[in-house]
Amino acid sequence: MFTYTIRRLLQMIPLLFAASIVIFTLLALQPGDPLDELRQQNPRITAEQLEQLRRAYGLDQPIYVRYFKWLGRALQGDFGQSRTYASPAGQIIFGQRLPRTLVLSGAALILALLVAIPAGIFSAVRQYSWSDYVITFLSFVGFSMPIFFLGILLLFLFAVWIPERVPWFPKFPVQSVSDFQWVQVLRGEITFFQFIWDWAFKLVLPVLALSTIQMAAWTRYMRASLLEVLNQDYVRTARAKGLSERVVLYKHALRNALIPIVTLVGLAIPGVFGGAVITETIFSYPGMGRAIFDALIDKDYNVAMAALAFLALLTAVFNLIADLVYAVVDPRIRYS
Amino acid sequence: MAAVATTSKQKPQSTWTLAWRRFRKHKAAMVSLGVVIALILIAIFAPWIAPYSPTAQPTGENLADYYFLGPTREHWLGTDELGRDVLSRIIYGARISLLVGFVAAFAAALLGTTLGVIAGYFSGRPLRFYVGPFAKAAGGWRPWPFALWRVVSWVLFYGLLYLAADLAWKLSGANAQALFSGTFNLNNLLSLIGLVLAWGVLLLMAGWGLFGQGKIDLDVIISRFMDFMLTIPELPLLLVLSALLRDTQGVVGQWADEVFGESASVFIIITIIVLFGWIGTGRLIRGAVLSLREQDFTTAAQALGAGEARIMFRHLVPNALAPLIVNATLAIGGAILTEAALSFLGFGIQPPVATWGNMLTNAQEYIFTAPWLALAPGFMIFLTVLAFNYLGDGLRDALDPRSRL
Repeated sequence: MFTYTIRRLLQMIPLLFAASIVIFTLLALQPGDPLDELRQQNPRITAEQLEQLRRAYGLDQPIYVRYFKWLGRALQGDFGQSRTYASPAGQIIFGQRLPRTLVLSGAALILALLVAIPAGIFSAVRQYSWSDYVITFLSFVGFSMPIFFLGILLLFLFAVWIPERVPWFPKFPVQSVSDFQWVQVLRGEITFFQFIWDWAFKLVLPVLALSTIQMAAWTRYMRASLLEVLNQDYVRTARAKGLSERVVLYKHALRNALIPIVTLVGLAIPGVFGGAVITETIFSYPGMGRAIFDALIDKDYNVAMAALAFLALLTAVFNLIADLVYAVVDPRIRYS
Repeated sequence: MAAVATTSKQKPQSTWTLAWRRFRKHKAAMVSLGVVIALILIAIFAPWIAPYSPTAQPTGENLADYYFLGPTREHWLGTDELGRDVLSRIIYGARISLLVGFVAAFAAALLGTTLGVIAGYFSGRPLRFYVGPFAKAAGGWRPWPFALWRVVSWVLFYGLLYLAADLAWKLSGANAQALFSGTFNLNNLLSLIGLVLAWGVLLLMAGWGLFGQGKIDLDVIISRFMDFMLTIPELPLLLVLSALLRDTQGVVGQWADEVFGESASVFIIITIIVLFGWIGTGRLIRGAVLSLREQDFTTAAQALGAGEARIMFRHLVPNALAPLIVNATLAIGGAILTEAALSFLGFGIQPPVATWGNMLTNAQEYIFTAPWLALAPGFMIFLTVLAFNYLGDGLRDALDPRSRL
């Protein structure tokens, strides 16, 4: 197991190296360079000044030279300067944006699990019942629902339509970032409870939108996985021993049924981070996904590069974690 | 005689007849099949069905009277911010969505199957990849495609070596020259050492290239490539690729613009969806082929002298057809969803071509004043994807030989 982990970690290095080369090249080849905007803002800028700036940004060098320079600095934690925010790109992405995306994606993942696992169990235990059909139908609806349409729909319903008709209904905010900051709690201006409540209230809609697809997909997997396990011989043996249905279900069947779910959840986590681009765009949530989107539009490639490299690392790490956890929870799996 | 008569009465039932009988029992899938067929008909006959042109804007005086109309008798789904008829745009949007869905899913399935079957079939059996001009290899010139590749590979190999040597010179040549003309410093010295080392290695490789032979396991290459593609964050990379390829200054964008005109972005979007879409199929087919190739029928085909291509595509792929069809059906829905997401973010199919995705982008701005604009395109995307998902589910049950009638 230990040697396997080390080997996988070593294999990750060339993989990430290749991924970063591809991402860097694609960003460097993007149409129009960052100087275009400058040229528009200031028509009197001379060719000489432009040339100087080009040299200052390192744009006069070929792509591979720029890549290796970027890599050397990135490995030391320097991701270059952001042009739009006029501060280090690493600080924007990892200091400001990543924590917000962690909160959003983390809440969405937890909500999805909290709903999907009980719903899947319920659905499997009462297979072909009325409630099973309803849950199955809802999960089909859930993962066929485009996240951007769901987002717009939620906004319209909970921020406009219902509050207009039901006077006591809380009007959910369109902008989903709290006005309160953590420092205010430390300073004693607001209570901790107020802080959490404000955030929670503003996160309800984006979290709902982001979690729906995973919720629906995991419900289906949970149901299928549990049904398969319930048909196994050892479940029949457990029942034949006269164990109560409760013990059979939760001690014998569920533990085994959860094994494939562990892998699925591990593999889905990077996707949720990447998928947050759409959710964050709809709900004006200044997280990492929104930062990537804005950076691509503003041609602020240092920011985009830092975020995308991080996402690639995240994917590789979670692929490894999924495989390792799989071996931990299932003793039948042995890596050599 | 009577016995013969009774046996001839019973119709022979092929796999497909049985599958169809099972499929018909799946009510949701049958309804979905109806929805999909209806959508295809709408897409094909769009010019005859649509009451207006999808890009027609009102003319005359009091233009503002025609903007943001709610549902009326003339405009069943109302009009948008430019006074265009929403129903007509929805009908024309079906063309784009279905085109993107079917073409992208089909191309991805084709690419994924080809690479997957090659990876699975040749796994653990390294193929001759390079045989130098003077290498002593038995049967080094057979079969003829390999002989051709052998010659081509020399050109590629030495061409690559030349490029590497040239690159080394461009990177450090100037500094090394400066060293000989008297400017002695660490940077120049390191450049010279690097240059000598690089050229030395290249010279060794050139020597090896004359006599050496190389073998390569295609499975390792393809599987590693799939792993690599899975590491790349998909949605952001789709945005990056889309911006890059749609650029009309670039080579691809220019070419697509000339060939496809206004719908160049449709072609580009299909391409980038395929670029990421084949991996699922590839893994599926590789896994299936790895087990199928060990079965007796494959050995029988080999013993009968069937060629490798014949074994792969006539014996192995047809046996993996059931999961392949299910996968491709679900992929259609996935491709439609991806296209809509890209168009919604403004990185997909560009106006004036109407798609459900880019209609939703515009509608989002007016969600508080004209909410019905968002409902129609959003609901159509949802309905289409739902139909393909149910269709895939029905096919999975129908094509599974273990499921009973």
